[in-house]
Amino acid sequence: MIALREKFKIPKKLKAIAALLLIIGILTILSGFFTKGLSTDNAVSAQFWGVLMYNTIFWTLICNASMFFVCFTTLAMGGWQASFRRVPEAISCMVPIFGVLTFLILFYVVAIDHNYHIYGWLNTDVVQHDEVLKGKQGFLNVKFYLIWTVLTLALWSLLGWRMRVLSSEADKGPLLGEKGKKYIWKNTVTASLFVVWFALTVGSTVPWFWMMSIDPHWYSSMYSWYTFASSFVSGLSLIALWVVYLKNNNYLELTNQEHLHDLGKFIFAFSIFWTYLWFAQFMLIWYANIPDEVVYFKHRMQGAYRGIFFLNLIINFVFPILLLMSNDSKRKYNWIAFMATFIILGHWMDFYQMVMGSLSKQEVSLSWFDFGVLAFFVGVMIYGVAFALTKKPLIAKYNPFLKESVIHHS
Amino acid sequence: MQVKYESQLREPLIYGKKTYHDLTEDIIRPIEAKPTRLWYIGFFVAVALLCFGIFSVYRDVTYGIGQWNLNKSVGWGWDITNFVWWVGIGHAGTLISAILLLFRQGWRTGVNRAAEAMTIFAVMCAGQFPVWHMGRVWMGFFVLPYINTRGPVWPNFNSPLLWDVFAISTYLTVSLLFWYSGLIPDMATVRDRAKTKFRKFFYGITSFGWTGSAKHWQRHEALSLVLAGLSTPLVLSVHTIVSFDFATSVVPGWHSTIFPPYFVAGAIFSGFAMVQTLMLVVRKVFALEDYITIGHIEAMNKVIILTGSIVGVAYCTELFIAYYSQNKYEQYYFGFSSGNLFSPYGWVFYSLMFCNVIAPQIFWFRKMRRNIYVTFFLSIIINCGMWFERFWIIVPALFRDYLPSSWSVYYAPTIWEIGFYLGTFGLFFTCFFLFAKYFPIIALFEVKHILKTTGESYKDQVTNIEEEAVEKFAQENLHHH
Amino acid sequence: MKKKKFVVLPFQEEAKLFDAVKMAKEDGYKIHDVYTPFPVHGLDKALGLKESSLHKAGFYYGLTGLSVAFFYIGWIFNFDWPHNYGGKPHFSFPAWIPIMFELTVLFSAVGMTYTFCWLCKIAPGVKKHHFHPRATDDLLVLVIECTAHTNAEEVESKFKKNGAIDTSIQYAEIGWWWGTYNDDTIPFTKDNSSIVVA
Repeated sequence: MIALREKFKIPKKLKAIAALLLIIGILTILSGFFTKGLSTDNAVSAQFWGVLMYNTIFWTLICNASMFFVCFTTLAMGGWQASFRRVPEAISCMVPIFGVLTFLILFYVVAIDHNYHIYGWLNTDVVQHDEVLKGKQGFLNVKFYLIWTVLTLALWSLLGWRMRVLSSEADKGPLLGEKGKKYIWKNTVTASLFVVWFALTVGSTVPWFWMMSIDPHWYSSMYSWYTFASSFVSGLSLIALWVVYLKNNNYLELTNQEHLHDLGKFIFAFSIFWTYLWFAQFMLIWYANIPDEVVYFKHRMQGAYRGIFFLNLIINFVFPILLLMSNDSKRKYNWIAFMATFIILGHWMDFYQMVMGSLSKQEVSLSWFDFGVLAFFVGVMIYGVAFALTKKPLIAKYNPFLKESVIHHS
Repeated sequence: MQVKYESQLREPLIYGKKTYHDLTEDIIRPIEAKPTRLWYIGFFVAVALLCFGIFSVYRDVTYGIGQWNLNKSVGWGWDITNFVWWVGIGHAGTLISAILLLFRQGWRTGVNRAAEAMTIFAVMCAGQFPVWHMGRVWMGFFVLPYINTRGPVWPNFNSPLLWDVFAISTYLTVSLLFWYSGLIPDMATVRDRAKTKFRKFFYGITSFGWTGSAKHWQRHEALSLVLAGLSTPLVLSVHTIVSFDFATSVVPGWHSTIFPPYFVAGAIFSGFAMVQTLMLVVRKVFALEDYITIGHIEAMNKVIILTGSIVGVAYCTELFIAYYSQNKYEQYYFGFSSGNLFSPYGWVFYSLMFCNVIAPQIFWFRKMRRNIYVTFFLSIIINCGMWFERFWIIVPALFRDYLPSSWSVYYAPTIWEIGFYLGTFGLFFTCFFLFAKYFPIIALFEVKHILKTTGESYKDQVTNIEEEAVEKFAQENLHHH
Repeated sequence: MKKKKFVVLPFQEEAKLFDAVKMAKEDGYKIHDVYTPFPVHGLDKALGLKESSLHKAGFYYGLTGLSVAFFYIGWIFNFDWPHNYGGKPHFSFPAWIPIMFELTVLFSAVGMTYTFCWLCKIAPGVKKHHFHPRATDDLLVLVIECTAHTNAEEVESKFKKNGAIDTSIQYAEIGWWWGTYNDDTIPFTKDNSSIVVA
C-alpha cells in the first residue's frame, strides 16, 4: 500500500516568502498612496488606482479560471485531473478574497473618485457634449456597473463554494454505482451553472465593463474572449505551479509526469489560442484601418508601448511555442514551473498594457510600484492558497475517476 | 502491460459481449454484403441531383453567372452562403478526429471515420462555389502564384480570397491524409478476408501492403498524433480565413473582430448537426447500434449545446457592440431604428435565432439529449439555422447600400442557383453512399483498441478494481512508470 | 530476396503476448516482428524499439513551408513586383501570416505522410508476406526468426504451452515487392470453431 500524505503542512520557507512579499507589497502600496495616490497631478494619481485595478482584476480572473478548469473538466467527464483536483479547488478559494478587493477598488473608482481617473464616461460634463457617450449611458452607468460587478463576484464565489462543498463528499466514503452517479450528476449541475455564468461574465459583459470602457469610444467585439484567453492560460499556469510545488515537497503521490504533461499541453495549446485571438483582433483592426478602431493600437504599436507590445507577443507566444513544443519539455517539473512563472508574468504584463496603455498613452509607467503591488497580490495568493490546501485532504480518495487518473497516460 | 480499467460509472462505448473478431464481422459486413434496395434508391436520387447540379453549372459556364440573380448591390448571394455553409459542415470531422484525439475522448472512435469522410465531401462541395463563381472558370489558374509571363501578374497575397484558396486546399489535403492514413490498417483487414477477385484487387491496392508490424504501428501513432496536432489549428484557421473574407472589409455587419472564433464555433456547431443527421441514419441502416450508442449521441449533443451557446453569446455580443459602438451603420445593419430586422430579410434573422440559439437549449435536458427522434429533428433544424445565419450575414449586409438609390430589389435565387446547391447535395451523398459501401464506416482498429477498456462485457469484470482502495490500486499499478 | 525460416506464434490476449515477448527476449531468440490488428500500448517499449522521430521530421518540413511562404511572398511583394494594395506597406507582414501558416501545415503534413510511407515501405500496390491472415483481425502474432542456433520445433512447442494458438513454421521472403493479393489463402473458409476466442 502506498501511504498518502493527506494533510498539507505549510512549510516555514513558504510562509516566510509570503510574509516577505506581503510586507514589500503593503509598504509599496502605502508609499504609493502617499507619493502617487494623494498627488494633485491627475495623471499620477490615475496611475495609483490603475495599477491596483489591473492587478486585482488579473488575480481575480486567474483564480476564477481555476474554478473554470474544475467545472469544464467535470462537464467533459475528465478523469485525468482527479489526482490533483484539490489544487485548482484551493486556488479558487481566492475568488471571494480577491473579489472583495476588486469590488472595493472598483467601488472607489466608480462611485467615490470625483476626478474620474479611470473611466472618462463617469464625467457628466463630458458626456453631455458627446453624442456617442450619451448613447452608451444605458450600459455605462454607475448603478448598472456596480450591480453587475457585485452579482458577478458573488455568483462566482457562491458557485465555486458549492463546487468545493460537493467535492468534499469524495473524502467521506466510496462513491460506487448509484451513489457515484448521483455525485457526478450533482457536480454536473453546479458546474454547468458556473460555466453559463462564466460565459455571461468573463465571456462577455465583465471585460467590457471593467476594462474596455476605459477607452470609452473604442470597441472590439473580441475583447472579452481575448481577456478570457489571457486569464485562462495564466490560470492554468498557476495550477501547474502549485502542482509542481506540492510535488517537489513530496505531496500528491498519485500525480506524476503524465499529468504534468497534460497540463503542459493545455498551457501550450491555450498560449496558441491566446495568440490566435490576439492576431484575429489585431489583424482585423489593422487591415480595415478604421480610425475609430485603430486608436487602440496606434500608440501601443507605434508609440511609447512599442516595446511592451512586442514583448507581449514574444513572452506569450514565441516562448511557449518554442519551449513547450517537445514532449520532454512538458515532462520536466522545474521546466514547467519556470515556463508557468514566465507565462503568468507575460499575461500580467498583457493586463498591464490593456489597462495602463489606455490610461497613460504617452509614456510607459511601469515602475517599482507595479512590481510592489504584484508582490502584494502574490503574497496574498500564496498565503490564501496554502491555507486552503491545509483545510482538506490533498487527494479526494473516493473521487470516482481517481483510479483512471492513477493509470493515466498522456 | 497496463491494466485495462475504466470507471464503471462511464457508459460502455461498445455494447454486447464482443470479441475482436466480432468487431471485424460487424463493421466489415456492410462492405461484403450486397447493397440493399434502400441504398440503390438513395444512390440514384443522389446521382440524379448531381446531374441536375452539373447541368446548372454547365449553364453557368455557358451563359455566365448572369443567370444567377446576383446584381447590384447583392454581389454575393446563395453561392457564397452555400460555400460557407459547406465549409462549416466540413469542420466536425476534423474536430472529432483531431481535437478529441488530443483530448482522448473515447467516444470519438465510434464516429470519427464517417465524420472525417463527411468532412472531405463537404469541403469538396464547398470548393465548387468559389470556383464556379469565377464565371470565366477557365481562367481559374490565375490564382496560382507561379512564375509567369503575364507581366508578371501575381495574385494579391494580401487578399482574404487568396488566403481562402490556400486554406481550403490545405484543409482538403490534410483531411484526406489524416482520413486515409487511418483507413490503411482497416483496408488491410478487409483485404485479408476478401473472397472476391474485385475485393482482393481493390483492397490489395488501397491497403498499401499494410501488415500491422509493431514498428509501423508506432510510427502510425506518431503520425496521427502530429497530424491531429496540425489539424487542430488548421481547422480553426480555415473558418477564420473564411470569416476574414467578410471581416477584413469595412462593410457594416461584416467588420467585427469576434468573427473568427465565432465562425469557428458556428462551423463546429453545424458540422456536428450534420454528423448527427448522418450517423442516426447510418447506425440504423447498417445495424451499428452497439458501436454508435446513445452515449455517443448524447456526447455529440453536448458539443452541440456548447457550441450553440457560444454562437448565441457571439450573436448577442454583435448586437450589443452595435449598440455600444453607437456607430450608425452598424446599428442600421442590426435593425436598430427600422434597419434589417424589419427589412424584407427580417424573417431570416428570427429563424436563425430560433434554430441556432433557442431550439438547441432543449438539450439541457438529459432525456432530450438521449432521444433519437428529437436529436434527428433538431439536427435538421440546426442545419437550416446555420444556413440562415450565413445568408443573414451576407445578403442583408449588402442589399441596402449607403445610398438609397443603389438599394437592391429583393434578392431571390433563380432555379439555377438552387440547382447548383442541390447538385452539391448530390455530390455529397453520392460520395457518402459510395463510401458507406466500400469503406469501413467505423474505425475498426480504434474500436478494437478500446474494446477491452470500454466494452460492456469487459467493464463488468473490473468491479473488484472499482471497490479496491486507491492506495492498493496505486501500489499495484504505479510501478509501471 | 532470400527466404528465411520463421516461427509464427499467434496469441489471443495481450497479456500473453507481453509474457511471450519477455520470454523470447530472455531466452535470446531473435524476434523478427510482432503483427497486431491494432496498436498495442507499450509493445514498442517491450520490444525495445526506439522512439519514432517522425515528429521531428514534421517540424523541419513545417519550418520549410514557413520559410517558403515568407520568402516567396516577400520576394514578390518587395522585389519582383512591388504593388500598392489599398495603401498597405509592401512589407505587410500581418497579411501574410494566414498563407505562411497554411503552408507550414501543408508541408509538414504532406512531408510527414510521405516519410511515413517511405519508412514503412507502404504504397498502393505494394505486397509483403503475411505470416498470419488473422493478424489484421483478432490475433497478435509474434514472429521469431530462426538463426543457426534456433530449434524451430522446440520454440513452437514451448510457446504453445504459453498460450500461442494456430502456430506454424514458415519459409518466407521478407521485404516488399509489387504484387496482387489474388492467390492468398482465405482465412475464414475453414472451420475456426475450435479456436476459443476470449
